[in-house]
Amino acid sequence: MSRIRVLNTSIFLFAIFLLQETVVSRINFPINGFSLYLAALMVLLSLEDRNGALVFGFIGGLIMDLSAAADTPFGQWALVLTAIGYLFSVNKESIGDFTDSPIVFIVFISLASALSLVLFLVIGAMLGQENGTFTHAISIIFANTLWSFLITPLFLPLIIKTRTALLSNRERA
Amino acid sequence: MARGGGNRSRLLLILLLVSSLFLITLDLRGVNLAGSIRSGVATVFSPVENLFSKLFSPIGNFASDFRNFGQSKSKIKQLEKEVDLLKSKDVLDEDLVGQLSQLKNVLDLAGRGGYKVVAAKVINRGSSATFKQTLTIDVGSNDGVSKSMTVISDGGLVGVVKSVSANSSIVLLMSDPTFKIGVRIAGTQGIGVVSGQGGNKYLLQLLDATGEIKVGDVLVARGSEGGRPFVPGVPVGTVTSVQSNASSITQNADVEGLSNLDRIGVVAVVVSAPKQDPRDSLIPKPAPTVTVFVTPTPSPSASK
Repeated sequence: MSRIRVLNTSIFLFAIFLLQETVVSRINFPINGFSLYLAALMVLLSLEDRNGALVFGFIGGLIMDLSAAADTPFGQWALVLTAIGYLFSVNKESIGDFTDSPIVFIVFISLASALSLVLFLVIGAMLGQENGTFTHAISIIFANTLWSFLITPLFLPLIIKTRTALLSNRERA
Repeated sequence: MARGGGNRSRLLLILLLVSSLFLITLDLRGVNLAGSIRSGVATVFSPVENLFSKLFSPIGNFASDFRNFGQSKSKIKQLEKEVDLLKSKDVLDEDLVGQLSQLKNVLDLAGRGGYKVVAAKVINRGSSATFKQTLTIDVGSNDGVSKSMTVISDGGLVGVVKSVSANSSIVLLMSDPTFKIGVRIAGTQGIGVVSGQGGNKYLLQLLDATGEIKVGDVLVARGSEGGRPFVPGVPVGTVTSVQSNASSITQNADVEGLSNLDRIGVVAVVVSAPKQDPRDSLIPKPAPTVTVFVTPTPSPSASK
Protein backbone atom coordinates (compact mmCIF):
# COMPACT_ATOMS: atom_id res chain seq x y z
CA MET A 1 0.00 0.00 0.00
CA SER A 2 1.61 3.21 -1.16
CA ARG A 3 1.68 6.43 0.85
CA ILE A 4 -0.04 8.32 -1.93
CA ARG A 5 -2.97 5.88 -1.79
CA VAL A 6 -3.23 6.32 1.96
CA LEU A 7 -3.31 10.09 1.42
CA ASN A 8 -5.83 9.92 -1.44
CA THR A 9 -8.12 7.53 0.45
CA SER A 10 -7.93 9.74 3.54
CA ILE A 11 -8.94 12.77 1.46
CA PHE A 12 -11.78 10.74 -0.04
CA LEU A 13 -12.94 9.70 3.44
CA PHE A 14 -12.75 13.31 4.61
CA ALA A 15 -14.91 14.39 1.66
CA ILE A 16 -17.56 11.83 2.66
CA PHE A 17 -17.29 13.02 6.25
CA LEU A 18 -17.88 16.61 5.09
CA LEU A 19 -20.94 15.43 3.15
CA GLN A 20 -22.18 13.55 6.22
CA GLU A 21 -21.73 16.48 8.59
CA THR A 22 -23.11 19.19 6.33
CA VAL A 23 -25.82 17.48 4.26
CA VAL A 24 -26.86 14.03 5.51
CA SER A 25 -27.13 15.18 9.15
CA ARG A 26 -29.66 17.82 8.10
CA ILE A 27 -32.13 15.21 6.89
CA ASN A 28 -34.76 14.24 9.41
CA PHE A 29 -34.91 10.51 8.80
CA PRO A 30 -37.90 8.69 10.28
CA ILE A 31 -37.09 6.72 13.48
CA ASN A 32 -33.53 8.06 13.67
CA GLY A 33 -30.57 9.14 11.58
CA PHE A 34 -28.23 7.47 9.13
CA SER A 35 -24.45 7.62 8.95
CA LEU A 36 -23.38 7.68 5.33
CA TYR A 37 -19.78 7.96 6.46
CA LEU A 38 -19.90 4.81 8.58
CA ALA A 39 -21.51 2.81 5.77
CA ALA A 40 -18.99 4.09 3.19
CA LEU A 41 -16.10 3.31 5.52
CA MET A 42 -17.40 -0.24 6.08
CA VAL A 43 -17.53 -0.73 2.29
CA LEU A 44 -13.91 0.45 2.00
CA LEU A 45 -12.72 -1.74 4.90
CA SER A 46 -14.39 -4.82 3.45
CA LEU A 47 -12.53 -4.34 0.16
CA GLU A 48 -9.11 -3.76 1.71
CA ASP A 49 -6.39 -6.29 2.49
CA ARG A 50 -5.30 -7.03 6.10
CA ASN A 51 -3.07 -3.99 6.58
CA GLY A 52 -5.36 -1.72 4.59
CA ALA A 53 -8.37 -2.59 6.79
CA LEU A 54 -6.36 -1.73 9.92
CA VAL A 55 -4.85 1.51 8.58
CA PHE A 56 -8.08 2.85 7.06
CA GLY A 57 -10.05 1.78 10.13
CA PHE A 58 -7.72 3.91 12.24
CA ILE A 59 -7.66 6.89 9.84
CA GLY A 60 -11.43 6.65 9.32
CA GLY A 61 -11.91 6.66 13.08
CA LEU A 62 -9.67 9.69 13.52
CA ILE A 63 -11.70 11.56 10.90
CA MET A 64 -14.92 10.59 12.69
CA ASP A 65 -13.43 11.86 15.94
CA LEU A 66 -13.26 15.31 14.33
CA SER A 67 -17.05 15.66 14.48
CA ALA A 68 -17.76 18.95 16.24
CA ALA A 69 -20.98 17.54 17.71
CA ALA A 70 -19.11 14.67 19.39
CA ASP A 71 -18.68 14.82 23.12
CA THR A 72 -16.42 11.82 23.34
CA PRO A 73 -12.66 11.70 23.89
CA PHE A 74 -10.61 12.18 20.76
CA GLY A 75 -9.46 8.73 19.68
CA GLN A 76 -12.52 6.75 20.76
CA TRP A 77 -13.81 6.26 17.22
CA ALA A 78 -10.24 5.51 16.11
CA LEU A 79 -10.07 2.73 18.70
CA VAL A 80 -13.48 1.34 17.72
CA LEU A 81 -12.83 1.38 13.99
CA THR A 82 -9.32 -0.05 14.36
CA ALA A 83 -10.92 -2.97 16.19
CA ILE A 84 -13.54 -3.27 13.43
CA GLY A 85 -10.74 -3.10 10.84
CA TYR A 86 -9.02 -5.93 12.70
CA LEU A 87 -12.21 -8.02 12.60
CA PHE A 88 -12.41 -7.41 8.85
CA SER A 89 -8.76 -8.33 8.37
CA VAL A 90 -8.80 -11.59 10.36
CA ASN A 91 -11.98 -12.74 8.68
CA LYS A 92 -10.87 -11.70 5.23
CA GLU A 93 -10.62 -15.27 3.92
CA SER A 94 -13.78 -16.59 5.57
CA ILE A 95 -15.85 -13.59 4.54
CA GLY A 96 -14.97 -14.20 0.91
CA ASP A 97 -15.64 -11.84 -1.91
CA PHE A 98 -18.96 -10.17 -1.17
CA THR A 99 -18.97 -8.08 -4.29
CA ASP A 100 -20.27 -11.16 -6.15
CA SER A 101 -23.46 -11.15 -4.07
CA PRO A 102 -24.63 -7.56 -3.62
CA ILE A 103 -27.51 -8.34 -1.24
CA VAL A 104 -25.25 -10.28 1.16
CA PHE A 105 -22.66 -7.52 0.84
CA ILE A 106 -25.21 -4.84 1.80
CA VAL A 107 -26.53 -6.89 4.72
CA PHE A 108 -22.94 -7.37 5.86
CA ILE A 109 -22.19 -3.62 5.60
CA SER A 110 -25.35 -2.75 7.56
CA LEU A 111 -24.51 -5.23 10.31
CA ALA A 112 -20.90 -4.05 10.44
CA SER A 113 -22.13 -0.44 10.90
CA ALA A 114 -24.40 -1.63 13.71
CA LEU A 115 -21.51 -3.52 15.32
CA SER A 116 -19.36 -0.34 15.20
CA LEU A 117 -22.07 1.61 17.00
CA VAL A 118 -22.47 -1.13 19.62
CA LEU A 119 -18.71 -1.23 20.18
CA PHE A 120 -18.66 2.57 20.43
CA LEU A 121 -21.36 2.40 23.11
CA VAL A 122 -19.57 -0.38 25.01
CA ILE A 123 -16.25 1.48 25.03
CA GLY A 124 -18.12 4.68 25.95
CA ALA A 125 -19.76 2.89 28.88
CA MET A 126 -16.33 1.63 29.99
CA LEU A 127 -15.07 5.21 29.89
CA GLY A 128 -18.04 6.35 31.97
CA GLN A 129 -20.00 8.16 29.27
CA GLU A 130 -23.73 8.75 29.44
CA ASN A 131 -25.30 7.90 26.12
CA GLY A 132 -28.93 7.78 27.14
CA THR A 133 -31.33 4.99 27.80
CA PHE A 134 -31.04 1.50 26.36
CA THR A 135 -34.16 2.07 24.22
CA HIS A 136 -32.73 5.27 22.80
CA ALA A 137 -29.45 3.57 21.90
CA ILE A 138 -31.28 0.63 20.34
CA SER A 139 -33.46 2.95 18.25
CA ILE A 140 -30.36 4.75 16.92
CA ILE A 141 -28.60 1.48 16.07
CA PHE A 142 -31.72 -0.05 14.53
CA ALA A 143 -32.43 3.04 12.41
CA ASN A 144 -28.84 3.25 11.24
CA THR A 145 -28.86 -0.44 10.26
CA LEU A 146 -32.16 -0.06 8.42
CA TRP A 147 -31.12 3.08 6.51
CA SER A 148 -27.70 1.57 5.74
CA PHE A 149 -29.46 -1.42 4.21
CA LEU A 150 -31.78 0.78 2.15
CA ILE A 151 -29.38 3.54 1.09
CA THR A 152 -26.05 1.71 0.67
CA PRO A 153 -27.07 0.18 -2.71
CA LEU A 154 -27.41 3.73 -4.06
CA PHE A 155 -23.80 4.73 -3.47
CA LEU A 156 -22.05 1.35 -3.30
CA PRO A 157 -20.97 1.31 -6.99
CA LEU A 158 -19.55 4.82 -6.61
CA ILE A 159 -17.45 3.83 -3.59
CA ILE A 160 -16.17 0.71 -5.34
CA LYS A 161 -15.29 2.68 -8.50
CA THR A 162 -13.57 5.44 -6.52
CA ARG A 163 -11.59 2.89 -4.54
CA THR A 164 -10.49 1.18 -7.76
CA ALA A 165 -9.44 4.55 -9.16
CA LEU A 166 -7.36 5.21 -6.04
CA LEU A 167 -5.41 1.95 -6.38
CA SER A 168 -1.90 2.16 -7.76
CA ASN A 169 -1.08 0.30 -10.99
CA ARG A 170 0.82 -2.37 -9.04
CA GLU A 171 -2.13 -2.94 -6.67
CA ARG A 172 -4.56 -3.14 -9.58
CA ALA A 173 -2.40 -5.80 -11.24
CA MET B 1 5.86 -15.40 4.06
CA ALA B 2 2.36 -15.57 5.44
CA ARG B 3 3.70 -15.69 8.98
CA GLY B 4 5.85 -12.60 8.25
CA GLY B 5 2.80 -10.75 6.92
CA GLY B 6 0.77 -11.86 9.93
CA ASN B 7 3.42 -10.57 12.32
CA ARG B 8 3.51 -7.25 10.52
CA SER B 9 -0.28 -6.97 10.74
CA ARG B 10 -0.19 -7.80 14.44
CA LEU B 11 2.50 -5.17 15.04
CA LEU B 12 0.49 -2.63 13.08
CA LEU B 13 -2.64 -3.49 15.07
CA ILE B 14 -0.83 -3.03 18.38
CA LEU B 15 0.66 0.26 17.17
CA LEU B 16 -2.71 1.62 16.09
CA LEU B 17 -4.51 0.48 19.25
CA VAL B 18 -1.82 2.00 21.44
CA SER B 19 -2.05 5.26 19.44
CA SER B 20 -5.83 5.35 19.92
CA LEU B 21 -5.53 4.67 23.64
CA PHE B 22 -2.81 7.32 23.89
CA LEU B 23 -5.09 9.90 22.26
CA ILE B 24 -8.00 8.94 24.54
CA THR B 25 -5.74 9.18 27.62
CA LEU B 26 -4.48 12.60 26.54
CA ASP B 27 -8.05 13.79 26.10
CA LEU B 28 -9.26 12.39 29.41
CA ARG B 29 -6.30 13.92 31.22
CA GLY B 30 -7.40 17.36 30.03
CA VAL B 31 -4.96 18.00 27.17
CA ASN B 32 -7.13 20.24 25.02
CA LEU B 33 -6.16 18.55 21.76
CA ALA B 34 -9.66 17.51 20.72
CA GLY B 35 -11.27 20.83 21.65
CA SER B 36 -9.03 22.88 19.44
CA ILE B 37 -9.10 20.41 16.53
CA ARG B 38 -12.90 20.11 16.66
CA SER B 39 -13.27 23.87 16.97
CA GLY B 40 -11.03 24.26 13.90
CA VAL B 41 -13.13 21.74 11.98
CA ALA B 42 -16.34 23.55 13.02
CA THR B 43 -14.86 26.84 11.78
CA VAL B 44 -13.96 25.24 8.44
CA PHE B 45 -17.35 23.53 8.12
CA SER B 46 -19.57 26.48 9.08
CA PRO B 47 -19.39 28.30 5.69
CA VAL B 48 -20.27 25.00 3.96
CA GLU B 49 -23.12 24.41 6.42
CA ASN B 50 -24.35 27.96 5.81
CA LEU B 51 -24.24 27.38 2.09
CA PHE B 52 -26.19 24.13 2.32
CA SER B 53 -28.63 25.75 4.72
CA LYS B 54 -29.36 28.43 2.09
CA LEU B 55 -29.52 25.86 -0.69
CA PHE B 56 -31.72 23.38 1.10
CA SER B 57 -34.83 25.42 1.77
CA PRO B 58 -35.56 26.34 -1.84
CA ILE B 59 -34.09 23.19 -3.40
CA GLY B 60 -37.00 20.93 -2.48
CA ASN B 61 -39.35 23.29 -4.25
CA PHE B 62 -37.66 22.73 -7.56
CA ALA B 63 -38.38 19.00 -7.46
CA SER B 64 -41.56 19.70 -9.36
CA ASP B 65 -39.45 21.17 -12.17
CA PHE B 66 -38.33 17.66 -13.04
CA ARG B 67 -41.75 16.07 -12.86
CA ASN B 68 -42.79 16.96 -16.39
CA PHE B 69 -39.60 16.35 -18.30
CA GLY B 70 -40.06 14.92 -21.78
CA GLN B 71 -43.10 16.95 -22.79
CA SER B 72 -42.87 17.74 -26.46
CA LYS B 73 -44.86 20.91 -26.71
CA SER B 74 -42.64 23.86 -26.06
CA LYS B 75 -45.51 26.07 -25.01
CA ILE B 76 -46.61 23.65 -22.31
CA LYS B 77 -43.00 23.51 -21.16
CA GLN B 78 -42.71 27.25 -20.98
CA LEU B 79 -46.00 27.65 -19.15
CA GLU B 80 -45.17 24.89 -16.70
CA LYS B 81 -41.82 26.47 -16.06
CA GLU B 82 -43.47 29.76 -15.26
CA VAL B 83 -46.04 28.06 -13.00
CA ASP B 84 -43.33 26.10 -11.20
CA LEU B 85 -41.23 29.21 -10.77
CA LEU B 86 -44.19 31.03 -9.29
CA LYS B 87 -45.01 28.06 -7.07
CA SER B 88 -41.42 27.77 -5.84
CA LYS B 89 -41.34 31.51 -5.20
CA ASP B 90 -44.54 31.14 -3.19
CA VAL B 91 -43.10 28.27 -1.14
CA LEU B 92 -39.86 30.19 -0.65
CA ASP B 93 -41.87 33.18 0.54
CA GLU B 94 -43.81 30.91 2.89
CA ASP B 95 -40.51 29.58 4.25
CA LEU B 96 -39.23 33.09 4.84
CA VAL B 97 -42.52 34.18 6.39
CA GLY B 98 -42.35 31.15 8.70
CA GLN B 99 -38.81 32.04 9.76
CA LEU B 100 -39.74 35.68 10.30
CA SER B 101 -42.71 34.64 12.41
CA GLN B 102 -40.45 32.36 14.51
CA LEU B 103 -37.95 35.20 14.89
CA LYS B 104 -40.67 37.65 15.92
CA ASN B 105 -42.05 35.23 18.51
CA VAL B 106 -38.65 34.35 19.99
CA LEU B 107 -37.70 38.03 20.27
CA ASP B 108 -41.07 38.70 21.84
CA LEU B 109 -40.45 35.95 24.42
CA ALA B 110 -36.95 37.31 25.13
CA GLY B 111 -38.31 40.84 25.48
CA ARG B 112 -40.99 39.77 27.96
CA GLY B 113 -38.39 37.90 30.01
CA GLY B 114 -35.88 40.73 29.91
CA TYR B 115 -33.24 38.50 28.33
CA LYS B 116 -30.53 40.01 26.17
CA VAL B 117 -30.36 37.69 23.18
CA VAL B 118 -28.56 37.05 19.92
CA ALA B 119 -30.85 35.63 17.24
CA ALA B 120 -29.51 32.70 15.22
CA LYS B 121 -30.48 30.46 12.36
CA VAL B 122 -30.23 26.68 12.62
CA ILE B 123 -27.79 25.57 9.94
CA ASN B 124 -27.28 21.90 10.75
CA ARG B 125 -28.10 18.95 12.98
CA GLY B 126 -25.65 16.61 14.68
CA SER B 127 -24.95 13.19 13.22
CA SER B 128 -26.85 10.39 14.95
CA ALA B 129 -23.66 8.29 15.11
CA THR B 130 -22.42 10.54 17.90
CA PHE B 131 -25.40 9.47 20.07
CA LYS B 132 -25.85 13.18 20.89
CA GLN B 133 -28.76 15.38 19.92
CA THR B 134 -27.33 18.67 18.75
CA LEU B 135 -27.96 21.62 16.45
CA THR B 136 -25.47 23.92 14.77
CA ILE B 137 -26.39 27.61 14.73
CA ASP B 138 -24.84 30.39 12.68
CA VAL B 139 -23.58 32.57 15.54
CA GLY B 140 -20.35 32.10 17.45
CA SER B 141 -17.78 33.85 19.59
CA ASN B 142 -17.66 36.77 17.10
CA ASP B 143 -21.29 37.49 18.00
CA GLY B 144 -20.72 37.34 21.75
CA VAL B 145 -21.84 33.73 22.22
CA SER B 146 -19.92 31.58 24.65
CA LYS B 147 -20.20 28.11 26.18
CA SER B 148 -23.06 27.24 28.57
CA MET B 149 -25.52 29.89 27.40
CA THR B 150 -29.25 29.13 27.30
CA VAL B 151 -30.83 28.75 23.87
CA ILE B 152 -34.54 29.48 23.44
CA SER B 153 -37.08 29.37 20.64
CA ASP B 154 -40.53 30.88 20.29
CA GLY B 155 -41.95 27.98 22.36
CA GLY B 156 -39.45 28.01 25.18
CA LEU B 157 -36.25 26.16 26.04
CA VAL B 158 -34.23 24.54 23.23
CA GLY B 159 -30.98 23.63 24.93
CA VAL B 160 -27.62 24.94 25.95
CA VAL B 161 -24.53 26.03 24.00
CA LYS B 162 -22.06 23.16 24.14
CA SER B 163 -19.16 24.47 22.09
CA VAL B 164 -18.38 27.64 20.20
CA SER B 165 -16.24 28.49 17.19
CA ALA B 166 -15.77 31.90 15.58
CA ASN B 167 -18.92 31.86 13.44
CA SER B 168 -20.96 28.90 14.64
CA SER B 169 -21.95 27.10 17.82
CA ILE B 170 -23.14 23.64 18.74
CA VAL B 171 -26.25 23.47 20.90
CA LEU B 172 -26.99 20.42 23.04
CA LEU B 173 -30.72 19.90 22.68
CA MET B 174 -32.92 19.37 25.73
CA SER B 175 -34.08 16.10 24.15
CA ASP B 176 -30.59 14.63 24.55
CA PRO B 177 -30.69 11.84 27.15
CA THR B 178 -27.82 13.43 29.07
CA PHE B 179 -29.59 16.78 29.35
CA LYS B 180 -30.97 17.72 32.78
CA ILE B 181 -32.50 20.97 33.98
CA GLY B 182 -33.87 22.11 37.33
CA VAL B 183 -37.47 23.27 36.96
CA ARG B 184 -40.25 24.82 38.99
CA ILE B 185 -43.93 24.09 38.58
CA ALA B 186 -45.54 27.38 37.72
CA GLY B 187 -47.93 28.42 40.44
CA THR B 188 -47.20 25.72 43.03
CA GLN B 189 -43.45 26.33 43.54
CA GLY B 190 -42.73 22.59 43.56
CA ILE B 191 -39.27 21.88 42.18
CA GLY B 192 -37.90 19.00 40.21
CA VAL B 193 -35.52 17.88 37.50
CA VAL B 194 -36.49 17.39 33.86
CA SER B 195 -34.34 15.06 31.78
CA GLY B 196 -34.30 14.36 28.04
CA GLN B 197 -35.48 11.01 26.72
CA GLY B 198 -34.38 11.24 23.08
CA GLY B 199 -37.65 12.59 21.65
CA ASN B 200 -40.17 15.32 22.44
CA LYS B 201 -41.15 13.54 25.68
CA TYR B 202 -39.29 14.30 28.89
CA LEU B 203 -39.23 12.89 32.39
CA LEU B 204 -39.89 15.09 35.40
CA GLN B 205 -38.69 13.94 38.81
CA LEU B 206 -40.36 16.04 41.46
CA LEU B 207 -38.02 16.32 44.42
CA ASP B 208 -40.79 16.66 46.99
CA ALA B 209 -42.73 13.37 47.12
CA THR B 210 -45.67 15.08 48.79
CA GLY B 211 -45.75 17.96 46.31
CA GLU B 212 -48.76 18.48 44.15
CA ILE B 213 -48.51 17.92 40.44
CA LYS B 214 -51.26 17.54 37.88
CA VAL B 215 -51.72 17.15 34.14
CA GLY B 216 -51.46 20.51 32.38
CA ASP B 217 -49.00 22.04 34.84
CA VAL B 218 -46.41 24.18 33.09
CA LEU B 219 -42.74 23.88 34.05
CA VAL B 220 -40.31 26.78 33.95
CA ALA B 221 -36.52 26.81 34.35
CA ARG B 222 -35.38 27.59 37.90
CA GLY B 223 -32.22 29.18 36.62
CA SER B 224 -28.57 28.72 37.53
CA GLU B 225 -26.23 30.98 39.41
CA GLY B 226 -25.16 33.80 37.11
CA GLY B 227 -27.68 32.65 34.50
CA ARG B 228 -25.43 29.88 33.23
CA PRO B 229 -26.21 27.40 31.89
CA PHE B 230 -29.87 28.27 32.49
CA VAL B 231 -31.58 31.61 32.86
CA PRO B 232 -34.67 31.60 35.08
CA GLY B 233 -38.23 31.71 33.86
CA VAL B 234 -37.87 30.01 30.46
CA PRO B 235 -40.88 27.74 29.78
CA VAL B 236 -39.72 24.12 29.50
CA GLY B 237 -42.77 21.91 29.04
CA THR B 238 -46.23 20.81 30.10
CA VAL B 239 -47.07 17.80 32.29
CA THR B 240 -48.97 15.20 30.24
CA SER B 241 -49.28 12.38 32.78
CA VAL B 242 -48.37 11.74 36.40
CA GLN B 243 -46.86 8.44 37.52
CA SER B 244 -47.89 8.02 41.12
CA ASN B 245 -46.00 5.45 43.15
CA ALA B 246 -46.49 5.48 46.91
CA SER B 247 -43.21 3.68 47.64
CA SER B 248 -41.08 6.09 45.63
CA ILE B 249 -39.23 8.93 47.32
CA THR B 250 -39.81 11.16 44.30
CA GLN B 251 -42.82 11.70 42.07
CA ASN B 252 -42.37 11.22 38.35
CA ALA B 253 -44.32 12.73 35.50
CA ASP B 254 -44.19 12.70 31.71
CA VAL B 255 -43.65 16.08 30.15
CA GLU B 256 -44.13 17.35 26.62
CA GLY B 257 -41.70 20.01 25.42
CA LEU B 258 -43.01 23.42 24.41
CA SER B 259 -40.51 23.78 21.56
CA ASN B 260 -40.84 21.55 18.53
CA LEU B 261 -37.17 20.62 18.16
CA ASP B 262 -37.68 18.81 14.84
CA ARG B 263 -39.02 21.85 13.03
CA ILE B 264 -36.94 24.56 14.60
CA GLY B 265 -35.43 27.12 12.21
CA VAL B 266 -34.70 30.21 14.28
CA VAL B 267 -33.48 30.37 17.87
CA ALA B 268 -32.04 32.96 20.25
CA VAL B 269 -29.02 32.61 22.50
CA VAL B 270 -29.45 34.35 25.85
CA VAL B 271 -26.19 36.26 26.29
CA SER B 272 -27.24 38.07 29.44
CA ALA B 273 -29.61 36.98 32.21
CA PRO B 274 -32.42 39.32 33.31
CA LYS B 275 -31.92 41.51 36.38
CA GLN B 276 -35.12 40.11 37.90
CA ASP B 277 -36.50 36.60 37.69
CA PRO B 278 -39.47 36.80 35.28
CA ARG B 279 -41.20 34.14 37.41
CA ASP B 280 -44.27 32.83 35.57
CA SER B 281 -44.70 35.70 33.13
CA LEU B 282 -43.45 33.75 30.11
CA ILE B 283 -45.89 30.87 30.40
CA PRO B 284 -47.85 30.51 27.19
CA LYS B 285 -51.35 31.76 27.77
CA PRO B 286 -54.25 29.64 26.55
CA ALA B 287 -55.89 30.96 23.38
CA PRO B 288 -58.82 33.19 24.30
CA THR B 289 -62.20 31.59 23.75
CA VAL B 290 -65.02 33.62 22.35
CA THR B 291 -68.21 33.42 24.40
CA VAL B 292 -71.40 34.55 22.72
CA PHE B 293 -74.40 35.39 24.86
CA VAL B 294 -77.72 35.19 23.10
CA THR B 295 -80.73 36.88 24.63
CA PRO B 296 -83.92 35.68 23.00
CA THR B 297 -86.06 38.56 21.90
CA PRO B 298 -89.77 38.09 22.65
CA SER B 299 -91.65 37.36 19.46
CA PRO B 300 -94.56 39.70 18.59
CA SER B 301 -97.03 36.81 18.70
CA ALA B 302 -96.05 35.92 22.29
CA SER B 303 -96.59 39.49 23.49
CA LYS B 304 -100.14 39.57 22.18
